[in-house]
Amino acid sequence: MTATELSTFTLTLASLVQESGHAAPAHSEPAAGGMATLLVPVFTLLGTVLCGLFAAFKVKSKLPAWTTVLLLAASFAAIVYTYATGQGTTSPVIAHGFDWISITWGEFGSAGHGHGIAANFSFYVDALTLLWMLFVTGLGTLIALYASEYMSHDVGAGYCRFFAAFNLFVFSMSCLVMADNFLLLYLGWEGVGLCSYLLIGYFYKKPSAVAAAKKAFIVNRIGDLGLALGVFLIYVQFGSVEYKAVFAEAGRYIDAARAGHFDQIPWQVQLIPLLLMVGAFGKSAQLPLYVWLPDAMEGPTPVSALIHAATMVTAGVYLVARSYPLFLCSETALPVVAWVGTLTALLAATIGMAQFDIKRIMAYSTVSQLGYMFAGLGVLTSTGAAFHVLTHAFFKALLFLCCGAVMHGFAGQLDLRKLSGVWKIPGWKVVSVGMLIGCANLSGFPLTPGFFSKDMILAEAFVTPGMAAIGWLLLLTAGLTAYYTFRVFFRVFVGPVEYEPGDELHAHDDHGHDGHAEAHGTVHGHGDSHGHSAATGNHGHAGHFHPHAPGWAINTVLAILATLSIVAAGLYFMGDHGGWAANMVHHSTAALPPAPADHAAESGAGHAHGSFLGMDPHAVMYYVSAVVGFIGIGVAFWLHFAGRTTAATSRADALVPKLGAVARAAQHKWYVDEIYDFLLVKPLWVLSHIFHLIDALLVDGLVDFAGWVPRTVGKVIRPAQSGLLHGYAIGMAGGLAVLLLIVLLAVT
Amino acid sequence: MAQSILILLIVVPLAFAAFLAWMPRKHAPAIALMGTSLAALLGVYTALIFDWNLSGRFQLENTVQWLPSLGVALQVGVDGVSLLLVLLTLLLGPICVLCSVTAIRERIKTYYGWLLVLQAAMTGVFVARDLILFYVCFEFTLVPMFILISLYGSTNRRRAAIKFFLYTFTGSIIALAGLVYVAWFAAGRALPGSSGWTFDLDILMRAAAELPPSTQAWVLGALLLGFAVKVPLFPLHTWLPLAHTEAPTAGSVILAGVLLKLGTYGIFRLAIPFAPAAFAEYAPMLAGLSIVGILYGGLICWVQTDVKKLVAYSSVAHLGFCVLGMTAGNEIGLTGSVLYMINHGLSTGALFLLIGMIYERYHTRDMAKLGGLAARMPVWSTFMVFFVMASVGLPGLNGFISEVMCLLGAFQASDNWGSGAWGSVADAMPGATPGLLGPWYAAIAGVGMIIAAMYLLQLTGKVVWGPLVEPTGHGHGGRDHGGHGLGGHDSAEHSTAAASHAGGHGAGGADASHTATSDKPHLPTDLTPREIGILVPLAVLCLALGLYPKPVLYAIDGSVAQTANLIREAGALKARPAGSPQVEPAPVEGAPAESDGKASAMAEEAAGSVAAGDAVTGGPGR
Repeated sequence: MTATELSTFTLTLASLVQESGHAAPAHSEPAAGGMATLLVPVFTLLGTVLCGLFAAFKVKSKLPAWTTVLLLAASFAAIVYTYATGQGTTSPVIAHGFDWISITWGEFGSAGHGHGIAANFSFYVDALTLLWMLFVTGLGTLIALYASEYMSHDVGAGYCRFFAAFNLFVFSMSCLVMADNFLLLYLGWEGVGLCSYLLIGYFYKKPSAVAAAKKAFIVNRIGDLGLALGVFLIYVQFGSVEYKAVFAEAGRYIDAARAGHFDQIPWQVQLIPLLLMVGAFGKSAQLPLYVWLPDAMEGPTPVSALIHAATMVTAGVYLVARSYPLFLCSETALPVVAWVGTLTALLAATIGMAQFDIKRIMAYSTVSQLGYMFAGLGVLTSTGAAFHVLTHAFFKALLFLCCGAVMHGFAGQLDLRKLSGVWKIPGWKVVSVGMLIGCANLSGFPLTPGFFSKDMILAEAFVTPGMAAIGWLLLLTAGLTAYYTFRVFFRVFVGPVEYEPGDELHAHDDHGHDGHAEAHGTVHGHGDSHGHSAATGNHGHAGHFHPHAPGWAINTVLAILATLSIVAAGLYFMGDHGGWAANMVHHSTAALPPAPADHAAESGAGHAHGSFLGMDPHAVMYYVSAVVGFIGIGVAFWLHFAGRTTAATSRADALVPKLGAVARAAQHKWYVDEIYDFLLVKPLWVLSHIFHLIDALLVDGLVDFAGWVPRTVGKVIRPAQSGLLHGYAIGMAGGLAVLLLIVLLAVT
Repeated sequence: MAQSILILLIVVPLAFAAFLAWMPRKHAPAIALMGTSLAALLGVYTALIFDWNLSGRFQLENTVQWLPSLGVALQVGVDGVSLLLVLLTLLLGPICVLCSVTAIRERIKTYYGWLLVLQAAMTGVFVARDLILFYVCFEFTLVPMFILISLYGSTNRRRAAIKFFLYTFTGSIIALAGLVYVAWFAAGRALPGSSGWTFDLDILMRAAAELPPSTQAWVLGALLLGFAVKVPLFPLHTWLPLAHTEAPTAGSVILAGVLLKLGTYGIFRLAIPFAPAAFAEYAPMLAGLSIVGILYGGLICWVQTDVKKLVAYSSVAHLGFCVLGMTAGNEIGLTGSVLYMINHGLSTGALFLLIGMIYERYHTRDMAKLGGLAARMPVWSTFMVFFVMASVGLPGLNGFISEVMCLLGAFQASDNWGSGAWGSVADAMPGATPGLLGPWYAAIAGVGMIIAAMYLLQLTGKVVWGPLVEPTGHGHGGRDHGGHGLGGHDSAEHSTAAASHAGGHGAGGADASHTATSDKPHLPTDLTPREIGILVPLAVLCLALGLYPKPVLYAIDGSVAQTANLIREAGALKARPAGSPQVEPAPVEGAPAESDGKASAMAEEAAGSVAAGDAVTGGPGR
């Protein structure tokens, strides 16, 4: 099928949407509607199938990419259409696809309970869904376009495989975000996990990529178990897994919860969020399950940008926001979420400060920013969390895609000690400006979208009673973030022009860079090897190396994302209180219900509960966080830009020895992987071997012994053992005859 | 034809087996294919004439008198559950023939003949409504399987075959004792509708309801010993890895696909109805064993170096989930369990097929000698990843639904959710059911989901992904060649055999420099259309059952609900003080006209189904 035919097809489908969409009414209770959203899974699944067929027919062109871009753009259009026509924006609507796990046991169910389960393939479209889907499909389209160029040296089977998984990812993500029940959410949840697995392991000849893919899947599965048990408990407690029923039931407890009377809420209800959050922490890479995300950077950079920065990893935030009524019903859940988020944010930031691989730094910053989002949810600003998800999606995608452009142009080079002054190299302006905007966002530079969204969380942490410690830690993290972010920028993009190509130098001409990387070991293996040929980056074996400046597709996408990463600040001023995101959240299940009358002081204008050094946090946080950000940037400027003459060295080098073990430990990611390996993986491995031995020696040994006794006895009566196979059949028939004879005798 | 269709399903393969024995050997595969295909077509016909709206009832019943004076008759009939298993058996028939075409080249008449006989016996088990027919078929599956393993297996085949035979045979004998006791008991009661001895399952079940509790426990124990060996339930599983590993591909597919299900089907069809109260009482113990199987089997999988053994041990873990769902004793758990039987047959059967395809090409099952085949065999790798994901329980594919229902069933089934004993779960927990399991069972078994991901991704990580590794000099030597270099745990006799064979070119294999590399296997590098044709139906079914399980759920709901009620009422009976009159014994037969219920259920389901809180009217009083 050609692209033209596809577009006609899309148009036909779009006209269908027009018709079905108009029928959707907007009632106050979940009504049917938002049918256009069902097109998203249809388009993306179609994309998966088409890319699979392209692979089967050995298509050697960029057809898979254009197909994907087109279908994702159509998906985006379907979501925009739904949003623009106001379906679900003020009250939820349900778009029923088809029945999935849906059964009732009718009159047979004698106990009267649990005699049915309904988890259908239908979508719950409300403002939160739309918020997420807008950026999932929008960014999906942009990043597919970027990938069309980025993956171009793999055109052929790998290209098809990449885009098939890419489509499947958006399919799964749409199920996750739009599901109207927890089981379909679980389908999307594990589906994105599969796509993540397939795409992290894209360069499958590279052992490190395979290991990273496996790790991601298994660590996520640990979280998934928590999620599954949470869903089970929801079913047992509420008799349903459908949002509309569950949240209506949970609503019974909300008033008691908001009034602080948690003793009136059954423990089972309070346990649900604690189980759900395990899943959220797995998918969103929080303590203690964050370890898979940095390794996931083995995947191609567009994947890192889309899946491991902007969309999939925010699924945990989505889950908590979606299930906010359940979380509010638990006394412990939200404080735990807040603390886990805060500690993760801080820990990841400290690791990020000490890494040299710019993609890993960005990965740790993702973990850290996700921590902010969870902290936001924990300190009761689901709005701030959702807004941060949105701004983060833009600027983190931008940052990753800039890093990817650098990686693509410099043959896989990601070490910030081997790259410098990219800004000044012709053809790299868009990338550099994009990087600057992304870094400004990430470090909370005033008036950037990232500044506003982070502020909402910080201020609310000081406002919420008992959460001031979280506020301080997050403020500290903000400073560290500003430092490590601009460390990358000052090292790589400004300063003297100097570069050294990465390991994929020769990859383009022979058999794809996966094959080459295999021969060279991993791309990121240069922990302490700085100094070697660093000062002579332009010469030496890189003498004939010319960085490969990004083409139009990459530059266009970067320009769009950079623009979005500025204008998204406008969303903060849209609407009256808290901006567009707040408006969206208020019309969803993530809304914070007003506290009962006797606790009214908690909400509303008072803010009397918390303060920042005696001042109103909402009023001063802009200035405080701006100052903290400037300090971080200033330190980075002094250590990594001022007076730096080579790529490899900076003033920070003198500092590292003074910090000694601390710096080393941070460089080694606080040895968390090693600790997990020692405490969990190794013992389990040993245990498995012990089981294997027990099975062979003891369990089977007993059986063999039991078999040996009669065999030994049997030697005495050997003649009976004919050894003929058919003898057994005859023997059995004979035995049966004897049996019948006995029965016969017994009867008569 | 409609009357005798079920008997035809048994007779057709047998007739073709006889025909095959009489024809020249070169036609054997074609005849076997025709026989299994004809049976499969008849299966489709059966599915068409079966009234799925009444799937809870036995249909297409037929009785051929055999020994009337003894009450022995060839009595057949199917309900939704057994028909689905029959269809699974019939589907795997042609697949097993087709996957053997290139692999089996010696004594092919014997091979295909016994394959057909095996299919007849397995079908017989599922359609039997008579204890004698059930047991004869149940036992008779051993003989063809024994021959398939011992003649066509790999290096260690004799030992595996003998162990398989003796182990399962011993179990079955004990089960027979239990079955005969029930028949004897029933004969003694001489219930209305029977004259003296009878082996009619319906009558036996009604009679068994009168068994005193202590006797029930003994009956259950006897039956379970027989069936648990087949399942196989920990610790009675050790024949399985050996048999699976040594069996030819078709043998493994049938073992995993159908033979193991004879055990779970036996529990579902015989053990529970004969001893429901005892089953309810001992459910925690059985569940405990299955959980041990899930975790223990799974961890053993993780350290396997032999791909086939890995998948074989995974059956121990998987069937653990199946039994766990059954012990939950509620509708969701039982549904999950029955679905698991079918799903495991599809996905694990396919995994064995895939491994067989690799074995045919490389003559090794050693993970150290196989790696990164994605580069060499992209089509094979795609299927492999697909079926591994089905096996892992990825939602959207078939395994997920059954696994999650088994776990959810176990999770719900606790008296502790509510105020107390059987039948009085508090209204506050509309999703809870009475039972003796509970959240901890599901939580611990759920760890098996993580372990499943660990071992199956270990498998794909080694074999599908990673740097390309192929055994040097593959493609020469005969069937026996492949065994060398299995995991070091194998028996001494095996290593000697392997060493003597492999001695010529160094057992290490990888660095042996010899000339045979040019000796290409006769199969192309990637899959042939025949092989793809075998896998596609299974893949389509995995996807279809994963995305639209509703028809299957409705095909089994009636039988499942009856069984669940049986357990629940027996449990309630037991929990009450002795002699309490309110609850009458569970009616097994004559399920109330289910069509109306189903129609209304269909109408309701869009409305959201799970009628939370409306405390439903006393079930027993209907």
